Amino acid sequence: MGMAVAAPDLEPVPPFSPSPRYRAWLRANILPYALISPSVLVIAGILAFPLGMLVWLSLQHYGLRELIHHAGDWVGLDNYRAILVDPLFHQVIVRSLLFTFACVALTVVLSTLIALLLLKVRSAVRILVMSSLVFVWATPVIVSVDIWQWMFDYEFGVINYLLTQLHLGNFIHHNWFDNPVQGLGVLVVVVVWGAIPFVTITVFAGLLQVPNEVIDAAKVDGASAWHTFWYVTAPLLKPIFLIVTCLSTIWDFGVFNQIYVMLNQRPSSDYFTIAIYSYRESFGVTQYGLGAAIAVLMVLVLVFVTFFYVRETVKVAEIA
Amino acid sequence: MKLTRTWLSVVTVAVAVIATACGGSTGTTTNPADQTGTLTVWLMNGSAPQSVIDSVNADFNAKYPKVTVKVEIQQWGDIGTKLDTAFGGSNPPDVIELGNTLVAKYAAADALENISGKKSSFDNSNTWLQSLTDSCTVNSKLYCVPYYAGSRAIIYRKDFFTAANVQVPTSMDDLLTVGQKLMTAHSSDPNFSALYFPGKYWYAALPFVWDFGGNIATQSGDKWQGSLNADGSQQGLVKLQSLVDALSRADKTGDEAKQDAAFAQGHIAMIIANGWEVGVITDPKAGNPALKDKLGAFPIPSHNSGQTAPVFLGGSDLAVAARSKHIDLANAWIGMLTGQKHMTDMATVGGVIPNTTSLLGLGTGLNQVFFGAAKNSRFVPNSKNWASVENANVLPDMLVKIFTKQQTIPEATGSASSRITSILNGGG
Repeated sequence: MGMAVAAPDLEPVPPFSPSPRYRAWLRANILPYALISPSVLVIAGILAFPLGMLVWLSLQHYGLRELIHHAGDWVGLDNYRAILVDPLFHQVIVRSLLFTFACVALTVVLSTLIALLLLKVRSAVRILVMSSLVFVWATPVIVSVDIWQWMFDYEFGVINYLLTQLHLGNFIHHNWFDNPVQGLGVLVVVVVWGAIPFVTITVFAGLLQVPNEVIDAAKVDGASAWHTFWYVTAPLLKPIFLIVTCLSTIWDFGVFNQIYVMLNQRPSSDYFTIAIYSYRESFGVTQYGLGAAIAVLMVLVLVFVTFFYVRETVKVAEIA
Repeated sequence: MKLTRTWLSVVTVAVAVIATACGGSTGTTTNPADQTGTLTVWLMNGSAPQSVIDSVNADFNAKYPKVTVKVEIQQWGDIGTKLDTAFGGSNPPDVIELGNTLVAKYAAADALENISGKKSSFDNSNTWLQSLTDSCTVNSKLYCVPYYAGSRAIIYRKDFFTAANVQVPTSMDDLLTVGQKLMTAHSSDPNFSALYFPGKYWYAALPFVWDFGGNIATQSGDKWQGSLNADGSQQGLVKLQSLVDALSRADKTGDEAKQDAAFAQGHIAMIIANGWEVGVITDPKAGNPALKDKLGAFPIPSHNSGQTAPVFLGGSDLAVAARSKHIDLANAWIGMLTGQKHMTDMATVGGVIPNTTSLLGLGTGLNQVFFGAAKNSRFVPNSKNWASVENANVLPDMLVKIFTKQQTIPEATGSASSRITSILNGGG
């Protein structure tokens, strides 16, 4: 670069030297790409390569023998065909989508309510609530799910004991996982509990950015609390809601740990979400090709589901 | 010149002497004392007491002083996944303890070293427990050395039996009658189970299936056929369900992992358990040591009065990874752990059933009952695909459907049988 700047002082423009206009074009069009290319390469290596391997694996018959010999049999789309006709897969997809919807909706609504509450309380209470949230967030999932499992335990669980003591019915030896609908309800509680801290803190941070004047103006105009929230605060927080909803959808759709640990690593097929189903086919039945195909389909469904959020987020970003 | 010639002859003689000295060793070119390297051993949690491992390593290092032995203890929970990845990698552990139902899967995938030619070099190989030897044999080749076995019997509270004035049952019907008397005697305790039976406990359900002549699957030629829906199997499950309905308040969707903790709490008269579970029940930390003198054991009775039901013979084998870089060392280490000296320790200190019938007499006290039960034992279908049946939870799911009455016995056994047929024959 120093050479290029110094050169014109010494002699007329050499025939092979790029013209200033060309250099300007170069700077505008190539330089940004050159600067971003190292990180793109790293991201491609970290994200695209495994994803590519996954797709490649999903087109092969890959069992234990193939794993040990490091060579699979190419079967084209056979794995996908096998999955798409499997009635279990259809149940799993529907179950995963409903489960995700319930978790995301509850997470966002409850987190927003807690965030709004945090605005109103004294600072001591706010610190207390915030630190509890961070504490929940900092607890490793496996540890917290283990504790939840004991709380909902059939014999020794404190939930059954408390519900019975509170005379809400006879819950001695009540089995929460006997009926899959009830069992999945418990799992929704566990997932939402773990998801609330992040969303609450994010929404609360957003609420702090809402200018007081706007709220005051709405009050002066006679808007009720609900109207103020719905017509003033919520639209201002739209980008934040989009991001947390999108992230929650991605996380909850791929939920694995909570279900797997809660059901003693042996969930029955009534509790299969797509991640569990993929794991079961890969590692349980040692059909890595089939498991990979399920994972690829999971990514595709997720892309489809989150497309709307991502598009809206991009729109919001462009307006800003 | 002259000096060189003398020197040469000295070297020649020396080489000849060394060659003669080494000629006696079995195939290895180096002296055991000169062998180097690190031998990695994977043992399962709870298999050998630390004192036995230490003693094996001491004996091994006396013979191979320059070899480092690294014993790594693995957990049962996710062992399937861990083994798959370890065998798939280029540097698997050298010695691996495998649950006896898992050997066929890895042997068929070429993950294990064929040791058929070395069988006679292991102690007691003529008297190895038959069903463990069977679990090591795939396509008439030997892929592992039997390590130890576990078979289940009923652990019971002697004080409860005395208080209710009942005797040890001698048939399945008698078991129901005795259980009902115990239930009546404890009718004021809403948590009481005369026979505590968690719904997913398939190891304990198999004796009922086998006792009535049923089976999990039968083989003809290369083809497997699931047979849990056969008459005998269904009769056994009907009998089991009547016992569970009348005598058990255990979680119908739970597994047996917590049964010892539950038993120690004092609301249970009988559980179907392994011999080592006595130690868990009376453990000062996890259990209740006060129960020590109140425990008894008896074999699961048959429906034919006076006989016992066949039990599932669980257990472990020791195999060498085909990709191991120290195959001879690995075999030598296995030979020491499974040899007469350390098997005696495993039986007396570890309380497990040793790998040879010649040592079954070492069972004393309650252990005698469990050692005896091993003599009337059966095994799961010995197929490379059996591990997939286990991992797909076919049997636990079937039992849960039956006990929770979501399905009738013909329905549940019908769908489980077709699933087993499909998986054992290589389908998903």
